[in-house]
Amino acid sequence: MNTQAIPPLSKDAPTVLEMTNISKSFGAVTALVDVSIKLRQGEVLALVGDNGAGKSTLIKILSGFHQPDTGTIVSQGKEVRFASPRDARAQGIETVYQDLALVGDLSVFHNMFLGREYHKRFLGLNLLDNRKMREQAQLYLDTLGITIPSVNSTVDLLSGGQRQCIAVARSIYSSPKILVLDEPLAALGVRESAHVLGLIQNLRQQRQVSVILIVHNYNQIFEVCDRINFLHAGEVALDASTADTSEEELIRIVKSGLGTRAIEAAAAEIRPGLV
Amino acid sequence: MPPSKAITAGKGAVGVKVPHTMTERLLILLSRYREASIAVVAIVLVIYFQVGSDGGFLSPQFMSVVLRDTGRLGLIAAAEVMLMITGEIDLSLSAIFSIAPYVMALLSVTYGVPLAVGALIGVLIGVLVGAINGIITVRFKVPSLITTVGMLFFLQGIVVSIYNSQPIVAPVEQPFNAIFGQSLYQPSDGLFSLHGITAFTPFLWAVVLVLVLALVLSRTTFGLHTIATGSNIIGAREIGVRTDRMKIYNFMIAGGFAAFAGIINTAQFTSADPQAGSPFLTLQAIAAAVIGGTSLLGGSGTVIGALIGAFVVASLNNGLVMIGAQATVSDIYLGAAIIAAMILSIQVDRLRTRRRV
Ligand SMILES: Nc1ncnc2c1ncn2[C@@H]1O[C@H](COP(=O)(O)OP(=O)(O)O)[C@@H](O)[C@H]1O
Ligand SMILES: [Mg+2]
Repeated sequence: MNTQAIPPLSKDAPTVLEMTNISKSFGAVTALVDVSIKLRQGEVLALVGDNGAGKSTLIKILSGFHQPDTGTIVSQGKEVRFASPRDARAQGIETVYQDLALVGDLSVFHNMFLGREYHKRFLGLNLLDNRKMREQAQLYLDTLGITIPSVNSTVDLLSGGQRQCIAVARSIYSSPKILVLDEPLAALGVRESAHVLGLIQNLRQQRQVSVILIVHNYNQIFEVCDRINFLHAGEVALDASTADTSEEELIRIVKSGLGTRAIEAAAAEIRPGLV
Repeated sequence: MPPSKAITAGKGAVGVKVPHTMTERLLILLSRYREASIAVVAIVLVIYFQVGSDGGFLSPQFMSVVLRDTGRLGLIAAAEVMLMITGEIDLSLSAIFSIAPYVMALLSVTYGVPLAVGALIGVLIGVLVGAINGIITVRFKVPSLITTVGMLFFLQGIVVSIYNSQPIVAPVEQPFNAIFGQSLYQPSDGLFSLHGITAFTPFLWAVVLVLVLALVLSRTTFGLHTIATGSNIIGAREIGVRTDRMKIYNFMIAGGFAAFAGIINTAQFTSADPQAGSPFLTLQAIAAAVIGGTSLLGGSGTVIGALIGAFVVASLNNGLVMIGAQATVSDIYLGAAIIAAMILSIQVDRLRTRRRV
């Protein structure tokens, strides 16, 4: 890929998002304990961690789907409270959920515009502008190079990969300020994965959209991410820049199986003076 | 990239499996044209009864009875379809069907409230009961089957206790009665005269309101979000659909429709019977919805299918008696039809799932 062409993140890129001391429990299950993450303008942040580490819970708090037990979210310098996903979307935060949040019984183009439909007035009634949504969806998918049999077909007739592409396309369509992708490559083949990574790389090149990417493959992390946050047992155990860390080092830390403190110590040993 | 090229590329890349066997093809056809397939059933039934009754079935007098029942059932069935699409059901509609016109007649008889005003109050009561059903179901997470059975007994208890189960003779006010269901048709009138049309007002109201619902379902954000709620409630919520509200609103629509159906019924018979709506009415409406092609699984449904389904149920109820069968025989056919329709519906859904690549 065009890795060379990516400009480094400017030192004075402003912070666009700060989640501070976020905790969340589901009954007896503690999903997050005092997690803090920071995202800068145009940055691509990788969120990694084992299954059950709390990655999805953290981004669902950011997307307004869950409300945190404690902690604050500051977006564009203002403290925000999202009572529902509508609020977060209205603030320019778009999320591709791990389950994709697509409606199987609706067409591709209705899914693309779900929650932000186009309307037209007809005899004083506010009706769906299906033609416009159909055209826009087709046009946009073509622009992104995403091919599906038809934007009219219902989503439950599409393959897992096609669905994932549609969910990603939907999230990019509205030009969000912050884009959150929860395992967007899980069901994708090699070619489709490269395609989605290319889309992220494009965003990174322009440094307009900030991205949080949950992904498991370390090659992919080093290909498209500026920084890594390693989430372990509900806490951020490591915060490292991909430019300053090698893949081997990171894998060694993550695989070390040490406790949180020990991982921090190991990280400090490998890279003194990290963030 | 031109769209056409994208489409071919997509087909080549992944492709949707083409159905192979005859059964699969038939099921696909049925799923695509649900309303058409139930219409075929309805036509076959009409021909059968027409022949069996030596031409009596399609006479204006008999049709006005069948279509009256169709209208009453169809309104409730279509309302039930909206709820079934969101994944809920309402078994209290028959009680709303009784209580709304009862309140209307009572207000008229005791306080001289005009029927039109009483009718409005009756419909609002239906909407309110729907809202309560919805809120209990959504906020307290009580399955709607339970919520609405509770509401059924509760309302039925209230309405029979008002006057000790006595029907009230509802006053006649024109043009209210003529507009909302009273038949002015005499055998000497032409079928297409003004009086002739009044023989079919309940049915015509049902057609109009069902078409409105069909429009809402397929052409508005409300309809889209109703489908989204029943098809994938978590996903819909994640993307910002207010699923709780969608359910509550549809309970309110259902309550309003049932109340309106009851008011039409009373305008037609000029009597408000506290037991006008037996729970069987709701069950027959659900049968009509299922026969019309709506499954109980949520996410899809057709209100027009429900109206045709209501016609099938009303034809079975009246037609079998007409051709000389025991009244109870129609229940046997109805029961078999519900089960057959449901099996078909689930087969079609399963086929769709299997076609996922
Ligand atoms: N809605 C929920 N109800 C109860 N427990 C939950 C819920 N969502 C997540 N959890 C629990 O929270 C923990 C973190 O889950 P999750 O955020 O999905 O992890 P990850 O995405 O890192 O795999 C897990 O133990 C999970 O079982
Ligand atoms: Mg997850």
